Amino acid sequence: MGMVTNLFVKDRVAIVGAGITTFMRRALETPRELAWEAARMALDQAGLTLKDVDCVVIGSAPDTFDGVHLKGEYLADGSGAIRKPMTRVYVGGGTGVFVPVSAWWHVASGLCETVLAVGEEKMSPAHPHPQYVFRYIWDPIIHRPLEPNLIWIFAMEMRRYMAKCGAKKEDIALVSVKNKRNALDNPAAQVAANITVDDVLKSETLVWPVQELDISPVTDGAAALVITSENVARQVTDSPVWIEGVGFTLDNQHWENRELAFPRYLNYAARMAYRMAGIERPWKEIDVAEPYDPFDYKELHHIEGLMLARPCEAWKLLKEGYFNRDGELPTSPSGGLLGVGNPIAAAGVMKVAELFWQLRYEAGKRQVKRPVHRAVANAWGDLMQAGTVIVLGN
Amino acid sequence: MSVSKLPGTKLSSKEMYSLPGLVESAPQAKYDFSAGPTISRFLQGLKEGKILGRKCPRCGRVYVPPRDYCEYCHVALTNWVEVPDTGTVHTAVVSYISVRRERLEKPEVIGVIRLDVPGYPPNGYEFAGLFHRLCVPPEEAMSDEVIGMKVRARWKPKEQRTGSILDIECFEPVR
Amino acid sequence: MRVMSWDKHGRLHDIITWPEREEVDKYIYTPGLHGLELAKALMDGRILGMRCSDGKVYVPPKTFCPDYSQGELVEVKGPWRLQHYTVVYEDLYGNRLEKPIVVGVIKPDDADLGMIHIVNVDPSAVRQGMTLRPVFRPKEQRKGTILDIEYFEPA
Repeated sequence: MGMVTNLFVKDRVAIVGAGITTFMRRALETPRELAWEAARMALDQAGLTLKDVDCVVIGSAPDTFDGVHLKGEYLADGSGAIRKPMTRVYVGGGTGVFVPVSAWWHVASGLCETVLAVGEEKMSPAHPHPQYVFRYIWDPIIHRPLEPNLIWIFAMEMRRYMAKCGAKKEDIALVSVKNKRNALDNPAAQVAANITVDDVLKSETLVWPVQELDISPVTDGAAALVITSENVARQVTDSPVWIEGVGFTLDNQHWENRELAFPRYLNYAARMAYRMAGIERPWKEIDVAEPYDPFDYKELHHIEGLMLARPCEAWKLLKEGYFNRDGELPTSPSGGLLGVGNPIAAAGVMKVAELFWQLRYEAGKRQVKRPVHRAVANAWGDLMQAGTVIVLGN
Repeated sequence: MSVSKLPGTKLSSKEMYSLPGLVESAPQAKYDFSAGPTISRFLQGLKEGKILGRKCPRCGRVYVPPRDYCEYCHVALTNWVEVPDTGTVHTAVVSYISVRRERLEKPEVIGVIRLDVPGYPPNGYEFAGLFHRLCVPPEEAMSDEVIGMKVRARWKPKEQRTGSILDIECFEPVR
Repeated sequence: MRVMSWDKHGRLHDIITWPEREEVDKYIYTPGLHGLELAKALMDGRILGMRCSDGKVYVPPKTFCPDYSQGELVEVKGPWRLQHYTVVYEDLYGNRLEKPIVVGVIKPDDADLGMIHIVNVDPSAVRQGMTLRPVFRPKEQRKGTILDIEYFEPA
């Protein structure tokens, strides 16, 4: 289906600061305090104070994790939103990239000049186990009677990808190995480790073909960005990172009616973002990427959806080291969700923050070996539905 | 980033549960979901031992599970059609854990079944299908042959059908 | 003419409903950075507040101030005064309470903003601005939550 977007951008928009908390299984801080810690770090890095912030965008996924409803309002004072215009956005896991996308349009429309964008998630209050909350996203009538665990849907997608593209478990496990190793250089990482493909294949099988080390953990964490107009950016820093393109799409909820080996929802969002950024050959023009990786095969899936590799080719390139930090097109140099952690809404913001540091050559040990000018990050949400994409450039 | 230590205070499981000032609260929400007229009719069809789909009067697409509106034409769907309860396996997995993340005694085999509904191109991106259990042993589910295997619905006996997706016990191979 | 797709038969029993309950058994909330210090103080029979850079003192302490800096913990000694109140006659589920409860915003003189708690006084005797003092539970019963203060009573 052809997609037509009427895109008219008045003002260039830049990210000038980023902050993240440690990502951990259980935090002492309340959700408000987590949001405050990340947001303060972002403002400090930008050299701005709360007085300079015009608007606030908050992203937080299901209220049922934290156990506090009206989460936007609850997090408001932690995110500096008291007496300011505040927008809460939520598309499941896609929220993480949707937060900067939403902040982008606050600035691009001319409404606000400086926006504080915060993503926060505290999953540890939910008992007996936060994963039980995911039961709630299935259709109550035609899915839930079968008592599905969320991992089932990932397993089904992974199996279809393996069957259609000829990828084997050993090939896909390389993503987990790569990301957890990349995360060793990330101070925020929760589950960084030096593992081998063998370790992944020996881990507990949860829903075949998905095994324990193929999955990202349950996490508490927050991340924040400061996004401003070109005017403010030039005053505040001499290396702003421009938001060149944004894309977001929602597919239907009937994932049982779609080919599971290719993420169409992401492809549409990516095309929208690339068109805005003026990118015609993403596999050539993108230098570094942070595809969403809650599961290892998902990174490959999204790499293909983002058109950084041809459908069914990503796993072959992975084997050649194409996506390593010293490869042609490094992906998840931060360590991704598999290495750093997965606080549902904050994870995407963490990825964008990583690209922000990469494009300013401030990522330290995680800096990729090749020169970087254009980067893309994506997040995914709901039942294989929401695709959000952001393209950055320096 | 130039900071050496990031904000955030980690707690181990033992530390968290021994903190002073912990507050516990159990939610009390109960829900009564309405299936709506479309899915109610679909469930009624299952009770009668039929899989019903809904057809778009404009483009002719048959939706299973049925919808109210055509996704492409944005026209209200009207006709109900009975679709064959046979299809091919699109994907299959074996689950060793329950909804609550506990180990299952007997592993479950589930998958997506592409139903033999006419009108969709054979290798197209979209198709009419169902998410359901497969009556194959786990070892067979893990083999390459299961993808694309022909299957048929195994219905529960008439007295046991209540008007739910579980009126189909599972999809079994057509041998 | 477009036909609406709601097959209006007018028969409610055609619609099937599914009962469900909330998916989480329980939530366990951590107290937070200042909250942890407050919890320890409450177990000790003291109440803490937070002083911000503009000199304002907030009770209970929230870790961060409106200007985003971290607040400084201070002890709050009172005397406490009832700023606003209301009388509650029903519980959360709409059942009539045996004895109506007075709930109020109680502010100590050495802070700028108050906290909410129960006032142990007959509804007919409650007055705005009346002086109160906190009554703590016996030490063995304290858990570090706001309920360690059983109620406020007229001083």
